[in-house]
Amino acid sequence: MSWILVNPILIPLVTAVLAYLFRTSPAGRWISVAGTVVLLFASLIMMGEVLEHGVIAGQMSNWQAPFGITLVADYLGGVMVVITAITAMATVIYTLAEIPERLERLGFHALLQVLVAAVCGAFLTGDLFNLYVWFEVMLISSFGLLVLGGSKEQLDGGIKYVTLNLVSTIMFLSGIGLLYGITGTLNMADLHLAVREVENTGLLTTIAVMFMVAFGVKAALFPLFFWLPASYHTPPVAVSAIFAGLLTKVGVYALIRSFTLIFDQDVAFTHTILLWLAVATMVTGVLGAAAMNDFRRILSFHIISQIGYMVLGLALFTPLGLVGAVFYLVHHIIVKANLFFVAGVAKRIGGSTDLSRLGGLYAHAPVLAFLFLIPAFSLAGFPPLSGFWAKYVVVKAALDLEMWFVAGVSLAVGLLTIYSMTKIWGAAFWPKHPDGIKPRLGDLPAGERVALMAPIVGLAVLTCIIGLFPEPFVHFAETSAEQLLDPTAYVTTVLGVQP
Amino acid sequence: MQSLILTTATRLLVALLLVFSIYALLRGHNLPGGGFIGGLIGATGFILYVIATSVSDARSALRADPANIAMLGVGIAAFSGIMGAFAGDAFLTGQWLFLFAAEGEKGLPLSSVLVFDVGVYLAVFGGILTLVFAMEEEI
Amino acid sequence: MADDYPKVDRVMGGASGWFSIALPAVLFLYFLGLVPQIAEAPQVRGIEWVPSLGIGLSVLLDGLSLTFALLITGIGTAVTLYSARYLGQHPDYPRFVAYLMMFMVGMLGLVLAGNLISLFVFWEVTTIASYLLIGFNADSAKSRRSALQALLVTGTGGLILLAGMIVLGTVAGSFELVDILSQGDMLREHPWYLAILLLFLAGAFTKSAQVPFHFWLPNAMAAPTPVSAYLHSATMVKGGVYLLARMNPGLGGTEAWFWILTLFGGVTAVFASVMALRQTDIKQVLAYTTLMALGTLTMFIGAGTHYAIMAAMLFLVVHSLYKAALFLMIGIVDHATGTRETGVLGGLSKAMPLTGLAAALAAVSMAGIPPMVGFIGKEFMYKAGLGLGGFGAIWVTVMIFAASVMMFVVAGIVAWKPFRGELRETPHAAHEGPWPMLAGPLGLGALSLIFGLFPGVLAHYFVGPATHAVFGEVREVHLYLWGGINMALILSLLTFLAGWLMYRRHEAIRHRLIRIEQGSRVNFDAGWDRVLDGLKALAAWQTRLIQTGNLQTYMAVIFASFTVLVGTTFLLRGGMGSGINYEADGVHPIQWTVLALIAMGAILATITSSRMTAVAALGVVGIGVALIFIMFSAPDVAITQLLVEVLVVVLVALVMLRLPHLPVRSASGFRAGHAAIAAAFGILSTLVMIAVLQTPFDRRLTDFFEIASWPEAHGRNIVNVILVDFRATDTFGEIVVVVMAAVGAYALLRGAPGAKPTPEDEEPVQVAAADKGEKV
Repeated sequence: MSWILVNPILIPLVTAVLAYLFRTSPAGRWISVAGTVVLLFASLIMMGEVLEHGVIAGQMSNWQAPFGITLVADYLGGVMVVITAITAMATVIYTLAEIPERLERLGFHALLQVLVAAVCGAFLTGDLFNLYVWFEVMLISSFGLLVLGGSKEQLDGGIKYVTLNLVSTIMFLSGIGLLYGITGTLNMADLHLAVREVENTGLLTTIAVMFMVAFGVKAALFPLFFWLPASYHTPPVAVSAIFAGLLTKVGVYALIRSFTLIFDQDVAFTHTILLWLAVATMVTGVLGAAAMNDFRRILSFHIISQIGYMVLGLALFTPLGLVGAVFYLVHHIIVKANLFFVAGVAKRIGGSTDLSRLGGLYAHAPVLAFLFLIPAFSLAGFPPLSGFWAKYVVVKAALDLEMWFVAGVSLAVGLLTIYSMTKIWGAAFWPKHPDGIKPRLGDLPAGERVALMAPIVGLAVLTCIIGLFPEPFVHFAETSAEQLLDPTAYVTTVLGVQP
Repeated sequence: MQSLILTTATRLLVALLLVFSIYALLRGHNLPGGGFIGGLIGATGFILYVIATSVSDARSALRADPANIAMLGVGIAAFSGIMGAFAGDAFLTGQWLFLFAAEGEKGLPLSSVLVFDVGVYLAVFGGILTLVFAMEEEI
Repeated sequence: MADDYPKVDRVMGGASGWFSIALPAVLFLYFLGLVPQIAEAPQVRGIEWVPSLGIGLSVLLDGLSLTFALLITGIGTAVTLYSARYLGQHPDYPRFVAYLMMFMVGMLGLVLAGNLISLFVFWEVTTIASYLLIGFNADSAKSRRSALQALLVTGTGGLILLAGMIVLGTVAGSFELVDILSQGDMLREHPWYLAILLLFLAGAFTKSAQVPFHFWLPNAMAAPTPVSAYLHSATMVKGGVYLLARMNPGLGGTEAWFWILTLFGGVTAVFASVMALRQTDIKQVLAYTTLMALGTLTMFIGAGTHYAIMAAMLFLVVHSLYKAALFLMIGIVDHATGTRETGVLGGLSKAMPLTGLAAALAAVSMAGIPPMVGFIGKEFMYKAGLGLGGFGAIWVTVMIFAASVMMFVVAGIVAWKPFRGELRETPHAAHEGPWPMLAGPLGLGALSLIFGLFPGVLAHYFVGPATHAVFGEVREVHLYLWGGINMALILSLLTFLAGWLMYRRHEAIRHRLIRIEQGSRVNFDAGWDRVLDGLKALAAWQTRLIQTGNLQTYMAVIFASFTVLVGTTFLLRGGMGSGINYEADGVHPIQWTVLALIAMGAILATITSSRMTAVAALGVVGIGVALIFIMFSAPDVAITQLLVEVLVVVLVALVMLRLPHLPVRSASGFRAGHAAIAAAFGILSTLVMIAVLQTPFDRRLTDFFEIASWPEAHGRNIVNVILVDFRATDTFGEIVVVVMAAVGAYALLRGAPGAKPTPEDEEPVQVAAADKGEKV
C-alpha cells in the first residue's frame, strides 16, 4: 500500500525537480504536463484501492504508527487527491498557453508541481505534524507562484497572503505543540484514541478552537479570510484557478478531518461555533462578491461564501451534513477552477477582467459563453448541475435539524450567488464591448486555443456528469460521511490494531 | 569591500568551512551535526566568499547554479527514499550496508539515510546560496 | 421588433428551424395518442435518479399533466413554426432554438414530474431558459434588466419553494407526489402545514406573477414575441398555477388556502385588468391580461369546489388558446407595420385580412362571446363563483365580473380597433403575414371555435380528467354552450353591456388611469430598483468595512478573533482545570536570565522605530531560544537555530541597508489597540501553556525513540535519527520548503525587470477604490 500512497506526493515532486532542471528549455513544460498525467493515473490507481478496501494506510520509513509517519487514504482523502490531480492537469495544460517563457525560466512549473505535491500530501497524511509540513510547503510554493513575475499588485497581494497565512501556520504549530503536550502523540488515528483519555476536557476544547482558528484562516472563514480577496486576482489566471480550486479546500479538509477524527469530544460547543462562523462566512462572502466589479474578484469572494456551505455541512455534524460537505468540496473545486479559466480566456480575448472594460463575449464567443454558463449556473446552485445537489443536501441537512434560520440564510445566499453570477454575465457577455472590440476565440492561435479551451471543456463536462448522474457521487459522499462519523476503520487501518 | 587580507583569509576560511560542513554532515547520525547543519555551515562559507569578493566570483567558484544544486538535493533525497522500494520497503525506509562489521558491531555503515542527509545538505546549501546570490545581485 | 440585425440566409431557420418544429410536433402527437388511456386512469411511470436521496425521475401522467403537456407541445409547435419565419434569419437563431427547446423540455418535465425534487429541477430549468430568452436582444439594456428581474424574482420564489418541498418531503416521508397527495388529511393537520403552504405559495405566486410579485411579467415582454406568447403567457407562467393545482389534494381545502388564494388571485385579476386598459402598447396590454388570467386561475383553484376547479381547468385551456393566438397576431402586425401602438394602428383588415380573422377569433373568445369556448369558460366561472357560500361567493363573483368586463374592453382594443376603419399610416406599409406565421394564430383561433361548438370533447378528454386530478375525486364534468336562462347568463349579458359601454369610453379611462398612475407613489418596478440598490449599497458598505486593504488591520482582526474565540472557550469550558498550581521552582537562575533576555528582545522589537534595531532585537530573541535548546540538551537544534538566526540577521541587514528608514505610521490609539490585543493574546497563550504543562505527559514516543534509535535505526544522535529516519518524511517536506523559498525569492527578485520591489508599499487601496464607480 505504501507506494500507492506515496506516489501522488512523489510524482509531482520528482516532476518539479526535473522541470526545474530543464526550466530553460521547452522540455520543462512538457515534463510538467507528463507529470500531471502520470499523477492522474497514480491517483486513480490509489482510488481504486480505496474503493476496494475502504481505508488504506502506509507506514513511511517502515516505522509502525504512531512512531513514524503514516500516510492514509479514506474515501474523502482519496477523492480529494483525484480531484487535485484533475485540477493540476487542467491547470498545467492551461498554462501552456498562458504562462510566458520568462516565468517558466524562473521555475514556474517547479513551483506549481510542488504545490500539487503539498496539496496531495496534506490530503494523504495521517500525522498532524506532517500535515503542518505540507501546509508549509503549500504556503511557500503558493507564495512563489503568487509573486512570480513580481508586478507591484502581485507583491502587495503576496505579502498579505504570506503574512496572514504564516500567522495561521504558527497558530497551527502552537496547537500541535499543546495537543502533543496533553496527549503525547501526533498520529491522528492515535489522537482519536488519546483524546478520550484526556482528563482536562476543557483544555482539549480550547486547543480544538485554536485549531479551528488556524484552519479557519486557511479555509478563509469569516473573519479570517482577508488574505484571499487581497491576493487571488493578482497572479496569472492559471495560478488563480488552481489556488481557487485547491488551497482553501485544504483548509476545509483539515477542518473536516480534525473535527471528525480528533475533536469530536465537545461537539455541542465546537460545532456550534463552526456553525455560526459558517453562516457569517456565507453571508459576508457573497455580499463581497455582490460588491465587486471585476471578474476575478467576484469569483474570489464567492470562494469564501461557498466555503461557508462546506463548513456548514461539517458543523451540522449529521451524516447528511457531511455528505453535503464532501459533495460541495468536490463540486466546488471543479467549478471554481473552471470559472477562473473562463475569466482568463475572457481576459485574453476581451482585454480585461474588469467588468466595465469587458463585453461582447456572448455575441462573438458563443462557445465560451456556453462554457461559462455551465459552471456559473452550477455555482449558483441551479439544477440539474452539480452545485444544485451540493446546495440541496446542505439545506436539507439543516432543515432536518429544524434549523430554519440557517437553512433560510443558505438559500438567501444562493440567491445572491445567482445575482453576482448574472452580474458577470450581464456585463462581460451580453452587452457590446465598451471599446468596440469583438472578442473572438477564433482570433487566438490554434494551439493556444486548444490549450485554453480543453481544460474548460473537460471540467464543464465533469460538472454536467455530476449534475445529471449524481447518484454515484452522492453514494460516494455518503460512504465518506460514514467513514468520517465513525472512524473505526480509519483508526484500525492506521494503527494496525483494534481500538 | 575588496581587501587583500580579507580575500586571502576568506579563501582559507571557505575551504575550512566547507570541509567542516562535510564533517558535520557525515558524523550527524551519531553526534551533533547532520545535513541541515552541514548545509548551513557550507553556505556560510560561500556567503563569506561573496562578501569578500563578489557574486560573480562566488558563482564561478561554485560552478553550478545554486538553485540547481538545491533542486538536485531534493532529487537525491527523493531517490534515497525510493531506494527502499528495491528492497520492498516503504518510502524513506533506511537501507543499510555495514562494511567491515564485526559481530555485534556496525563497522562502517553506508546507508540510504546518509544519502538522504546528503540531499538535505545540498538542498539547504543550494537554497541559501540561491537566496543570497539573488539578493546581492538584485538589491 | 425592428429588423436591424445582419440577416443570415436561412430558409425557415435552416436545420435548427426544422428540428425545432418537428420536435414539439412529434411530442404533441405522442401525447395526443395517450389521451384516451389517461382519460380512463392516470399512470405513474419512472426511472431511478438519485435513490440515495429519494429522488426519482418518475412521471405522473393524469388529466392535469397531460392537458398541460398538450398545451406545451401544441402551442410549442405553433410558436416554433412562427419563429422559424419570424427570427429564422437572425444570426443568433440557432441559440434561440436551443433555449426554446431547453425551455420546452424543462416545462414538460415540470408538468410531468412525479417527484417533488425533480419537479423543482425542471422548474429551475424553465427559469434559466426564461432568463436567456428575455435577454435574447442582449444589446438592449432594457432586455438585460428585465431578464435579471425575472430571474431574481422567480429565482427567489424557487429557492423558497425548494425549502417548502424539502420540509413537505420530510413530513410526508417521501418526495413522490403520489405518496404525498394521498396523505392530504395528515398534512393539513400537521403543525408545519401553514409554513409549508406559505413556502409553496411563495414559489407559485412569483412564478405565476401574482400581485405583489407581478411586476416582472410585463417587463419580460422585452423578449421576442414568440417567447412572450409561449413562455410568458401560455406555459411557463402557468407553472405556478400548475403547482397549486397539483398540490390541491395534498395542501388545499383549508381556510388558509381558500382565503389566501382567492384574495391574491382576485386582486391580481382585477388589478391586472385595470392596468391592461392603461397600456397603449398592445403587447403590454396582452401582458397584463395574462396576469389577469393567472389571477383568475389562482382564485378558482383556491375556491376549491368541484365547479371552481372545473372552471379553472376550462379557463386554463381557453386562455392558452386565445392568448397565444393574440400574441402571435400582434407579432405579425408588429413585423408588418413596425408598431404595436393602439393609437397608431387602424384599418388593418384591408391589408391583412387573415391576420384580422385570427385576431377576431381569438378576441371573441377572450371577450366571452358565444359560440366561442371563451363564453363557456366565463359562464362556468360565474357558476362556480355563485356556487360558493358566504362572502366567498360575493368576492369571487364580483372580481370575475369586473375582470370579464375589462377583458371585453381589451378584446376590442387589441382586435377590433386596429383592424377597423381607415387604413392608418404606419412605419412600414402593412402587408399580410406569411403562412408559417399565420398558421399558429389561425389554428388556435379555430380550436377556440371548435371547442366552443363541441364542448363535449373538451370535457371528456381534457377538462374532466384534469378536474379529477386536481379535485381528487371523480365527478362528472359536463360542459355546454346553452344552459338555459340562469344567473350566470344574466351576468354574462351584463358583462357585455358594461363592457360595451366602457369600450366606448376607453380612451378617456386610459388617460384617467395614466394620471392616477403618475400621481401614485406605489410603483413596484421602481421599488424593485430600490431593493436592488439597497442591496448593492449594503454589499459595498460591508466590503469596505471588512476588506480595508490594510495588512495591519487584518492581522489585528485575526489575532483578536483568536483571542476572543480561544479565550472564551478557555473560560467557558474550564480549560484551566483545577486552577493554577504550577511551581516554577525547577527554573534555574540562568534560565531566568535567558528568559528575561528573550522578553526584552521581544519588547524592544515592538517598540523601536528603527528596522535595524528591530532585526537585532529579534536576533537576541532567537539566540535566547537557542540557549534554551542548549540547556535542554538539544545541541543540534540549538546549532541550527543559531546558524539560521545569524544568517537571517545578516541577510536582513543586507536588505535593510538599502531600504529607506521606516517611519512609525500608526496613530497612537491604533497602537494602543494593537498592544491590548497582543497582551491579551500573550496572557492567554501563557495560561493555556501552563494548563498543558499541568497535565501529565505521555512519553510513549520519546521512549520509543530513545530505545530504538541505536539498535534499530543505527544512530546515536536521536535528533538526527528522527530527522532522517523516524520522521524523514517531514524533513523531506522541509527541505522542499527551503528550496522553494529560495526559488520563489529568486523568481521574485529576478522576475521584476527594472523595478526594485519594495514590499512596504501598499497597493492603492483595493476594494474601496476599485469599486467605487460601481455600476451594473
